[in-house]
Amino acid sequence: MNFDWSVVWRNADAVAEGTKLTILLAVTTMAIAIPGGIVLALMRLSGVRVLSSLSACFVELFRNLPLILVIYTAYYVLPVATGFSLSPITTAIVALSLNVSAYNGETFRAGIASIRQGQSEAAYALGMTRWQATREIVLPQAVRRVLPVLASTWVSLFKDTSLVSVISVGELAYTSMRIRAQTYRVLEMLTAMAAIYWLLGYPQAKLVDWINRRYAVNE
Amino acid sequence: MSAAAGEGNAVHRKGAGAPPVLLYRNVVKRFGALTAVSSASMEVRKGEVVCLIGPSGSGKSTLLRCTNGLELIDGGEIALDGELLPRDWEGMRRVRQRMGMVFQNFELFPHKTALGNVTIGPMTVLRMRRADAEQRAKAMLHKVGLADKTASYPAQLSGGQQQRVAIARALAMEPEVMLFDEPTSALDPETIGEVLNVMKRLAKEGMTMVVVTHEMTFARHVGNWVVVMDRGAVIEQGPPEQIFGSPTVERTRDFLSHLGWSG
Amino acid sequence: MDLDYSPVLDSWRFLLNGLELTLALSFLTILCSLTLGGAIGLARCYGPRWLAVPLVFYVDSMRSVPVLVVLVWTYFALPLVIGVTLPPFWAALVALTAQIAAYVAEIVRAGVTSIRAGQTRAAFALGMSRAQTIRTIVLPQALVRMLPAFGSILSITIKDTAIAAVIAVPEYMNRSQTVAGQSFHPIEVFTVAMAVYFVILFPVTRVVDIVYVRLAHLGRL
Repeated sequence: MNFDWSVVWRNADAVAEGTKLTILLAVTTMAIAIPGGIVLALMRLSGVRVLSSLSACFVELFRNLPLILVIYTAYYVLPVATGFSLSPITTAIVALSLNVSAYNGETFRAGIASIRQGQSEAAYALGMTRWQATREIVLPQAVRRVLPVLASTWVSLFKDTSLVSVISVGELAYTSMRIRAQTYRVLEMLTAMAAIYWLLGYPQAKLVDWINRRYAVNE
Repeated sequence: MSAAAGEGNAVHRKGAGAPPVLLYRNVVKRFGALTAVSSASMEVRKGEVVCLIGPSGSGKSTLLRCTNGLELIDGGEIALDGELLPRDWEGMRRVRQRMGMVFQNFELFPHKTALGNVTIGPMTVLRMRRADAEQRAKAMLHKVGLADKTASYPAQLSGGQQQRVAIARALAMEPEVMLFDEPTSALDPETIGEVLNVMKRLAKEGMTMVVVTHEMTFARHVGNWVVVMDRGAVIEQGPPEQIFGSPTVERTRDFLSHLGWSG
Repeated sequence: MDLDYSPVLDSWRFLLNGLELTLALSFLTILCSLTLGGAIGLARCYGPRWLAVPLVFYVDSMRSVPVLVVLVWTYFALPLVIGVTLPPFWAALVALTAQIAAYVAEIVRAGVTSIRAGQTRAAFALGMSRAQTIRTIVLPQALVRMLPAFGSILSITIKDTAIAAVIAVPEYMNRSQTVAGQSFHPIEVFTVAMAVYFVILFPVTRVVDIVYVRLAHLGRL
């Protein structure tokens, strides 16, 4: 069996495009899912039964479904539900955003809830409104708690973008496997794909470790 | 019935002649099946230092937290300057601005400097401009003896220093009455003194104070009126000389002797 | 939008077989990755220093690469390297185990190191050997602390088996795709799939939470 590794260099442009799309998908999803998570957390902690239950159900639903299934379902349901035919990329971003927002919702909720009750009370004792206390005292402290978990979620998201290849979104995994199918260079392309993910993912994993160390909370 | 549950009108009190700043009448507070405060009645006069003493679980802290609405009462009434405390959160919020509270574990905001902690109240709640708020904050920190610590974060301060910043934070709102919830219980013995001194000075300047404390020396020498609580009820109240010198209620005597109080 | 669930009902046996395979793959993966991951984690804590280097590399690499990539590479590329073709189920088992064992190893390492050094010192002071200490003092406490993380491993494993559909393992996800493709009723098929996975996954995390609450005091958190 002879291996022709030059196939990788010959298709470098396409692979680079795929990589760019992977990054774009991850960044866009996180940009939606961070505010999404904050909204979900505030709903859950709001004390209004309807909002709280809605948020809890949303979070529980998406945390207990395989992402690949959510992606497929979005692909088939969204066009029927919205009446538009959405591009695969849009569908992918919707599915990824719903999923990551749910995880972020739980992350932010735990982060906010971990701030001692006494901090809010001290704020109230000064005469602050609930919103002022949340904005000035609770959220800034929660951000510090939440950062390490968000970093981990980001790394998971980055890897999960590979799943949208199943609905033909041209990110790195799809592009690599397409080239493999076209050139029959199985080992070379798949190894190259793994290597690129590794090259991008390894530093991110190390960064997460560093963030965990730096922002470790010692009560 | 002795002066056990009464308001001691017969005894001359500091600030007598003017209506009380705080009036508690038959206050009741329950947590589920537990009655934390059962029918507490007392008055706080202007310029008085009222000390609430008693065993743990007697309801002293709860009564204090009912005063500024951190807990809502289930029965009876509390009045500030003759007006009943509102029952809704927003109404209570306005009242809270007129009271300052100092917590047992300081509850300084760790992400802000000492100056930041003291300015946040005036800036956020009173909508003062930053320059004015900082000026007032610096004055307050100077007052509690921490003028050189304005840029320090709580983590860099000792317990006593943190509590003094907490006092400055409450004072920056220019409250009519200061509420202290066991202000020295979480402090090392060496730093208790510096906090008590600040409180003593405040008292001398005429601040109306309600202090839940285990520091009997403070209650004896700085307090003007002592209220003894046990198991949710006010069992005795009177001037410190009487409470500490010749307590009339058995339970008070038990409590004081347990503390090794010898007068 | 009129929904017709009859294709799903007609194929229920087909789908059920897929579900059995999902559960079988999950179970075997958990078993293998707990064993492998446990061994790696303990080796990192108590093993020789030089061993840590390749183990850390392995664990960090598995954290960096997506499950899909490991699955695809194991099924399509590994045969070209070792000359043996693995059937889809076994390829999936190998790939998923490799991935999840890395997470288990990290959990074990974190759990063991979280037991205060004072505990081991106290055990030594009583005259216990290293092995006895690890077995009777450190591991029992560490295991309790690791419970919530193990619960999420369970959940992640079941979810990852759905990705094995991509390499033609006929588990539930794969079977759903087949039925959806043949019946042209993808919405009904996939909504049922969502319900099925939810019904499996939701209790898993709940049960782990409950067990943890009961046992938490043993790990003295």
